[in-house]
Amino acid sequence: MTTREPPLEIGRPPRLDAAAKASGAEKFACDHYPPGVLWAGVKRAGLPHARLRGLDLAAARALPGVVAVLTATDVPGVNRQGVVLKDQPVLVADKARYVGDALALVLASDQETLARALRLIRADLEPLPGVFDPEEALKPGAPLVHEERPQGNLLLEGRVVTGQGAAALEDCPVVVEASYDLPRQEHAYLETENGWAQRGEDGRVTIVVSTQTPFRDRAEVAEVLGLEPGQVRIVAPYAGGAFGGKDGITVQSLLGLAALHAGGRPVKMWLEREESLLASSKRHPARLHYRLGADQEGRLQALAMRAVYDTGPYDHLGGAVLTLGLEHAAGPYRIAHVDLHGLAVYTNNPLSGAFRGFGVPQVAAAMEQAMDLLAGRLGLDPLELRRRNALRRGDINPVGVTLTGSTGLAACLEEVAAHRLWRGGQAWRKEAPPGRRRGLGLAAVMHGLGYGPIIPDVANAKIELTAEGVFRVYCGVVDMGQGNAGTCLQLAGMVLGQDLAGLELVLPDTDRTLPSGSASASRTTYVFANALLPAATALKERLLARGADAMFAASPAEMVLLPGRLKHLPSGRELDLKRLASLLDPAERTASHRYRAPVVPERPSPDPALQLHGLPHGVFSYAVHLARVEVDELTGLVRVCDYLVAADCGQVLNPQIWEQQMQGGVAQGLGYALLEDFPAPEGLPQCRDLSTYLIPTSLDLPEIKCLAVPTWEQSGPLGLKGCGEIGIDGPLPAVGNALAQALGRHLVEAPFTPERVLAALNQTEPSAS
Amino acid sequence: MRPVHLPSSLAELWDLMAAHPGAALLAGGSDLLVRLRQGLGDPPALIGLERIVELGRVQAQEPGWLFLGAMATHSLLLEHPLVREHLPILRQALAVLGSPLIRNQGTLGGNLCTASPAGDTLAPLYALEAQVEVRSASASRRLGMGDFILGPGRTALKPGEVLYGVWVPQQPAWSIAHFEKVGRRQALAIAVVSLAALIARDESGLVTRARLAWGSVGPTVLRVPAAEEALLGRPLDDASLQAAAQLARQALSPIDDGRASAAYRRQVAGNLLLRLARRGS
Ligand SMILES: Cc1cc2nc3c(=O)[nH]c(=O)nc-3n(C[C@H](O)[C@H](O)[C@H](O)COP(=O)(O)OP(=O)(O)OC[C@H]3O[C@@H](n4cnc5c(N)ncnc54)[C@H](O)[C@@H]3O)c2cc1C
Repeated sequence: MTTREPPLEIGRPPRLDAAAKASGAEKFACDHYPPGVLWAGVKRAGLPHARLRGLDLAAARALPGVVAVLTATDVPGVNRQGVVLKDQPVLVADKARYVGDALALVLASDQETLARALRLIRADLEPLPGVFDPEEALKPGAPLVHEERPQGNLLLEGRVVTGQGAAALEDCPVVVEASYDLPRQEHAYLETENGWAQRGEDGRVTIVVSTQTPFRDRAEVAEVLGLEPGQVRIVAPYAGGAFGGKDGITVQSLLGLAALHAGGRPVKMWLEREESLLASSKRHPARLHYRLGADQEGRLQALAMRAVYDTGPYDHLGGAVLTLGLEHAAGPYRIAHVDLHGLAVYTNNPLSGAFRGFGVPQVAAAMEQAMDLLAGRLGLDPLELRRRNALRRGDINPVGVTLTGSTGLAACLEEVAAHRLWRGGQAWRKEAPPGRRRGLGLAAVMHGLGYGPIIPDVANAKIELTAEGVFRVYCGVVDMGQGNAGTCLQLAGMVLGQDLAGLELVLPDTDRTLPSGSASASRTTYVFANALLPAATALKERLLARGADAMFAASPAEMVLLPGRLKHLPSGRELDLKRLASLLDPAERTASHRYRAPVVPERPSPDPALQLHGLPHGVFSYAVHLARVEVDELTGLVRVCDYLVAADCGQVLNPQIWEQQMQGGVAQGLGYALLEDFPAPEGLPQCRDLSTYLIPTSLDLPEIKCLAVPTWEQSGPLGLKGCGEIGIDGPLPAVGNALAQALGRHLVEAPFTPERVLAALNQTEPSAS
Repeated sequence: MRPVHLPSSLAELWDLMAAHPGAALLAGGSDLLVRLRQGLGDPPALIGLERIVELGRVQAQEPGWLFLGAMATHSLLLEHPLVREHLPILRQALAVLGSPLIRNQGTLGGNLCTASPAGDTLAPLYALEAQVEVRSASASRRLGMGDFILGPGRTALKPGEVLYGVWVPQQPAWSIAHFEKVGRRQALAIAVVSLAALIARDESGLVTRARLAWGSVGPTVLRVPAAEEALLGRPLDDASLQAAAQLARQALSPIDDGRASAAYRRQVAGNLLLRLARRGS
């Protein structure tokens, strides 16, 4: 027998996907160039709000190399897409609602012809008055984004009131009040939206695409194409980043439509960076107003908040984003009286949608900076204020849900309190060089996991012992860079006693893997591993039993699975897994398991719309973020010198992946805090590429220290919760609070650009140094 | 498809330029290719300069002068012993230009011919009172920086001419050679404001000579003689620098753009002078 590695272990690195990616061997959706491939692309509106009176396609159609030019009338099924509300056309039929709306789809023999054909299309667009400010959009008489809606431009309004609501503020001896403006943020994944599609001779359409949601895509594309879901196959390779931007349809329906007109040839569509910036969804810009009240001892009593989220032209999960924001609006604290009021509003601005954090970074920014205002007013240490109010297991959270799961916030606070970056903080501040000011800022955050009570949060795992004696793990949830596919192998290897050579991975493919929901909502490994572990265990038990029979063992308990073989422990005899497989019926070699995540039995809001959009959650991760910043008085430039995050995400299955999730979230959150903004006055984006939309470089980031403060989550697989988003919820308020300490005043408009910081400095006394 | 020609000598270059009027010269391409992608310009052909060895030279050639060839990359200059020894202020600028990749690809000549007021090598070269050499098939001429760069994206190059290189005169002893760039981030950042300052002082600390050049606060890099003169005969303290800063703010003509407002640029342009008190003490 060839020498084998020891079986894979849980709790250890490395990332099993790293080598293939680092060496370039891994093929992403964009790496496929099937022979004879056609290129597809769309003509976009370019205007934020305009009636489409007509399209002159003659010149484009006449261009040699153009295979087809398609419009809304060519959509065979329903020309609508969307996850909750189907309000977005695949191709505009009547009017454009934002600059990125697609008007016509072109198929051409090559990219140059495609570009030329798109330029030749003349769109007869009649500009309409647009609506660009969500508050204005709510006023009577405002231009309507969707005329047919009785609620006008209001997409969703939600309100959660507990105790005496806002009235309780009147009894609070200390109340702070502030408004915050949060910017629009771009995902800026490395791999822009793309895929390729082909129609087979049997009429089935296969789409290989960079997506987070293969099974949902299948249903949506089928509906658009007028096909049965089974006639559409979605294949989802590793995605080169997604962060929520591929949670839903990007190019899928267009590719499907193109495939119907390609005469059986493959068709590829791949957005240029400029087009991706223009048309892709962004994090919702938000305006928040907070009133937070406490007693003299700093015990939080009441919160009244109002949040307005600019959802742009389409729902695109905007209602769900708002709802998760509302659920987290009061932070990870005990507050008996809240009035949380949120509105998601249609405008003709760029499209807003899902983005790592999903509505939480906005409210965490407001709540955590309000907490520091309150600490200042009370003369309390900000950490002490959080300590006094931190949620513990068994508490009722601000929206009225009893926390039955693991709740490690207090332990995170103690880790930070004991850390040298916090304890030595005041001394470090005093050592600021001349002309520099230093500050420390904290943020405590929580993040709910999964879909909430209505949408079934389900995964179906499948494992097969192949005829070759290798375990094939069918992973139904996309790996967009988080590393969950590798973790699946690790889990299977641990249970089945296999090394990497004994395992084979099947990435999501609606023909091969089973429906397991989206890669989103900090749910991916929690839900999928909860299905995978029982599937692997069931298969293991079956193999041990059949192996025991074959080897005349007294009981399966005498058998153990090792890499490539089964061993009878008392005798030391071994049976090759290939041999064992040949003794089994194919049906016996496969095990699958369906898992549905538990649902909170409490209903904090009777509003069915809020429930549908995800309220409430029952399992939360927690984190405390600490930023130490230095401000240059001459330029207003901010340097984040040190960063610490202590997080309770339940048990850590792979410390390397866990740390990368934290660091990636913090890095993206620091961009949100200091740099990133996507202004679009009158609906017209000002940043056309990554030279003007700036994201942090490695030189802009400090060393990000990550401390795991693991609890054991009983509902989780091996005690795990989610770690995908908690890292991005804290950086903006942590930096904001640190800047407030350095500057002596709070900044309410993010990002905290040098210009805004210098303006604040101009209004404060020069430092003593 | 656009043809790319790669001459290996100046003689070949002149022939190609004559044969392909309207062709664009390609140095590292880090500006040109970005512009072409944006649809700015559609030259019928590109003529690459990378194989013309003499354009890449860096040497102390004539007495009193250092020569930096137009095709010298930023990385090459950054590591070159002559630059290290004689032009610390240029090194400071090169060190914050773009990123390692851009410095490997981009050239000094490309930075100058792009003639952006934010070009990082420009302010140091203005302060060093460098000259550029321009050549054509039949002639060569030398111009001061201010005569070469005419405005944003505009140079004195005429059809048939190329930038041959930069001549930097031997420098008197400076007590302070300081470059600072303010960008929106620490790498791959276009300057919002930059300052190149060369200051000489006598034994008692009084300023004897001063050259101050600002980037990104006007259509071209700007020297402000009034601010320079205000420092002469004075110590480099907050009071004298504040006075010079005020004069500079009056003389500069920044604009608003996506990166910063004119008001911010104006204030910071003056503020950057105040850093000298800390560097000089
Ligand atoms: C991501 C990125 C970051 C950047 N960051 C910075 C930065 O921080 N600071 C900065 O200053 N610049 C920056 N740049 C701009 C650019 O890299 C520099 O200006 C660089 O020096 C240009 O040199 P090049 O050799 O690439 O020029 P090219 O792009 O090859 O040429 C630029 C122009 O000059 C002309 N040209 C070049 N050489 C000659 C010659 N010898 N004679 C006549 N004409 C000539 C070309 O025809 C063209 O019009 C950045 C660019 C990018 C893409």
